[in-house]
Amino acid sequence: MSTERIPLDDKALWQSLATAPPGALAAVSDMDFAAWLEGGLPEIEAARLDAAVTADPALRQAALELADILGKQLPAAPARMAVRAQALVGFPAERQTRRGWLAWLMPDFGQGAGLQRGALAAAAVVVAAVGFMMGGGISERYEEAVYASSSQSSSSTVVRPLGRDTTGELNDLFTDAT
Amino acid sequence: MTELSQIDLRSLAAGHKRTWDAFVTAASPVINAVVRRALSTYRLSEDDVLDAAQDVFVRLCANDFRLLKTYDPARAGLSTWLAVVSRSAAVDLARRRRQATAPIDEVPESALAVEDRHVEKLKIPDGLLTERQTLILKCLYDEERDVAEIAQLLKIDAQTVRSTHHKALLRLREHFKEEAP
Repeated sequence: MSTERIPLDDKALWQSLATAPPGALAAVSDMDFAAWLEGGLPEIEAARLDAAVTADPALRQAALELADILGKQLPAAPARMAVRAQALVGFPAERQTRRGWLAWLMPDFGQGAGLQRGALAAAAVVVAAVGFMMGGGISERYEEAVYASSSQSSSSTVVRPLGRDTTGELNDLFTDAT
Repeated sequence: MTELSQIDLRSLAAGHKRTWDAFVTAASPVINAVVRRALSTYRLSEDDVLDAAQDVFVRLCANDFRLLKTYDPARAGLSTWLAVVSRSAAVDLARRRRQATAPIDEVPESALAVEDRHVEKLKIPDGLLTERQTLILKCLYDEERDVAEIAQLLKIDAQTVRSTHHKALLRLREHFKEEAP
């Protein structure tokens, strides 16, 4: 090759040369690629990514596209996009698959349904307790009334805590028969 | 509206509905822009764009937010990482649905050129240029990008791109001049 064959034009020179053929393309993770795009990688790691982007035209195209987008003010997305995506998380079917079979027992704080379940359970406990106390109170008063009536009708009889004393009635029955 | 940088990633990965909704609102513009751009070379409909964006969100929350949990805030911003993930998802979807088509005017000349295999090219020896120098020359001459675009890509000044380009060409000329008999 003579020196005259070296093109004067830079582009022509580059195109007359061949870069080393790429070997197996190194795998580049999304995280590495993002870090490289932000220019925050240490020199050695950045050189590895430079080599990967140089060797892979698809990766180079991606890098150029993303650098352009990320440097701009972005327009709002269509409302439908957000609505569809928001529906992906937080529905009962999704929660059941995500949490265990005992999950329904546990309050899921931060999600409305869990709090609601907890409040309902607490209200049920309060109602049951009040009902039990009221029921106990009524039976006690009823018992006291029974004691009072039996002590008035036969003051000589031994007052028994429960039921009515029938000794006097039986005596009357036998007296009439004789 | 919540910014992406304000999203509580722990709460998001735990699947809390409110955090997810805020995340979707904040992430939609970048995902929308990347997906649209990636699909612009494919003749796909508006529904395809929405499907591609939905595919990104599905990937993020699938398998108990496995992909989202791989994000490391110490290494890159959330929007940059989301942009990378979104582009991959969009290209995958486009490949599944249709073959790429691009107007011929938008394809770089170098991509259309048929290489004349009879012309033997001189091989650039390993180590003559740095990876960065090679990348800059490829972007300038193979991709036909301008200096400003390359500076934006590499997060460096346009002047640094010019000087790197200049030094690379000097090295090439020097090397092949010496090699010539």
